[in-house]
Amino acid sequence: MNAIQIKNVTKKYKDVTALDHVSFSFDYGKIYGFLGRNGAGKSTLINIIANRIFADCGEITIDDIPAEENMKIHDKIFCMSEADLYDESLKVKELFKWIDRFYDDFDKAKAFEIAGKFNLDTNRKFKVLSKGYQSIFKLTVALSLNVPYVIFDEPVLGLDANHRELFYELLLKDYEANERTIIIATHLIEEVANIIEEVILIDKGKVLLQDNVGSLLETGYSVSGLAHEVDTYCADKNVIGFDELGNLKIAYVLGEKTPLPKTGNLSLSAMNLQKLFVKLTEKGGN
Amino acid sequence: MKNLKSIIQYECITSFKYVWMFYAIQYALVAFITIIIGLAMGTFEDVGTNCLEINTLIYIGVLGVLGFKDDFKMLIQNGFTRKYIFTATFSMFGFISGTMALTDTIVGNLIHHFNNGYSTLYGGIYGYDHLFMNWLWLFLLYVTFCCLLYLIILIINKTGKNVSVILGVVFGGIVLLIVALIRYVFTGETIHNILEFLMKAMGFMADGTINYVFPAITLFVLVAILGAGSYAIIRRTELK
Repeated sequence: MNAIQIKNVTKKYKDVTALDHVSFSFDYGKIYGFLGRNGAGKSTLINIIANRIFADCGEITIDDIPAEENMKIHDKIFCMSEADLYDESLKVKELFKWIDRFYDDFDKAKAFEIAGKFNLDTNRKFKVLSKGYQSIFKLTVALSLNVPYVIFDEPVLGLDANHRELFYELLLKDYEANERTIIIATHLIEEVANIIEEVILIDKGKVLLQDNVGSLLETGYSVSGLAHEVDTYCADKNVIGFDELGNLKIAYVLGEKTPLPKTGNLSLSAMNLQKLFVKLTEKGGN
Repeated sequence: MKNLKSIIQYECITSFKYVWMFYAIQYALVAFITIIIGLAMGTFEDVGTNCLEINTLIYIGVLGVLGFKDDFKMLIQNGFTRKYIFTATFSMFGFISGTMALTDTIVGNLIHHFNNGYSTLYGGIYGYDHLFMNWLWLFLLYVTFCCLLYLIILIINKTGKNVSVILGVVFGGIVLLIVALIRYVFTGETIHNILEFLMKAMGFMADGTINYVFPAITLFVLVAILGAGSYAIIRRTELK
């Protein structure tokens, strides 16, 4: 099966369970949004997939090949990390040179081309780059690698609006030309909402939701009006959260819409991905 | 195999460029200090130094530490397994140690040839008759030192600061215990046998002759033990 399959993965740090028997898969040829609040377990899972840390139990396979300590997956997956793991004493062009030697499918010419578009000075050492340009370097590497699975962990950290736009543009252009699986772990949900096809929402070490963005937005809506009318309408519905102001109430619902009662002043509106995310994960502190 | 070759090349080339910088600084400093002291004392007769290999040992120690700290991050980021990282790191230790041992053997023996007052580390212990054994001994000594520091930094990384301090204290306690055992428990004959064994391991035979192979074997065994220990730890080491 062409996919990253996560099977029953658990990871504990002393008394904290970062991942609790997590099972799902990232299928080939889709763009995923991997979402979750701080400490939800996103980075832990990404680090396990990328073989940087070990799961306490469970298994991860990439195209049916076990991912743990296996060089057979070296040219299948690349993870762009939030953390700076590159040799800081090397120049950008030297890092490109080494990555070209490490990977069979690194397109060095494309890397220099992308670096040019971002005005990344390839003669500068990694350590003297600003935080934003360090992110740009890491993005450039990820975009220039033709591996089937690419993970971006907080890809636009420190990037200004223009560079963020450029990144999304390059990402989509690259995806159109070369279909593969792209996984974006980010807090900037609205920025990626138009790019991602599938959402995986993780909270407190468990998968809260895995769905197609389109169908999710179709089934998610909000009902507003007088509190008692909203409560009556929502009695048999899957309400994921409320906002209240005096006697007015907004209920956030997942599921099929039913017609509003003819009496009363209820109104329905669409719910965006960010609101859905907030409502699904807000229990346990804002 | 292409991947393994590339990672070994990375380890060796990125570490090798600093070797010549180290030698340039070392010899410039030695020359500078010699000139200053010579001028101050008015004579160069008693001015000099010995065993410059000690400096290499310090450099090699730093290399052992950095071998883990920086390179592990870089290589794990680029998708390499711990087995590959370990293999590449040990290849780098071997390459750098071999090169530096060769330089130290040639330069040390040349200085000794022109200035009898200068003593090399190996020459001071085993004499100046066997250039190849001099290189081999230095090479194995450097690799041993790299492996030792590499193992220590892996243990510190794995256990954390507090546990490492406790382990250090326990190690100190074991040393004191051994001293106490030698002084108060073991008989004179036992101590004599231990010392004889250790001297033999370093090549000094009971009949007063020197066996040049034994110290090489001893260091090789040490490298094997330290290497096995390092691999046992790194194979479960996580990125922090």
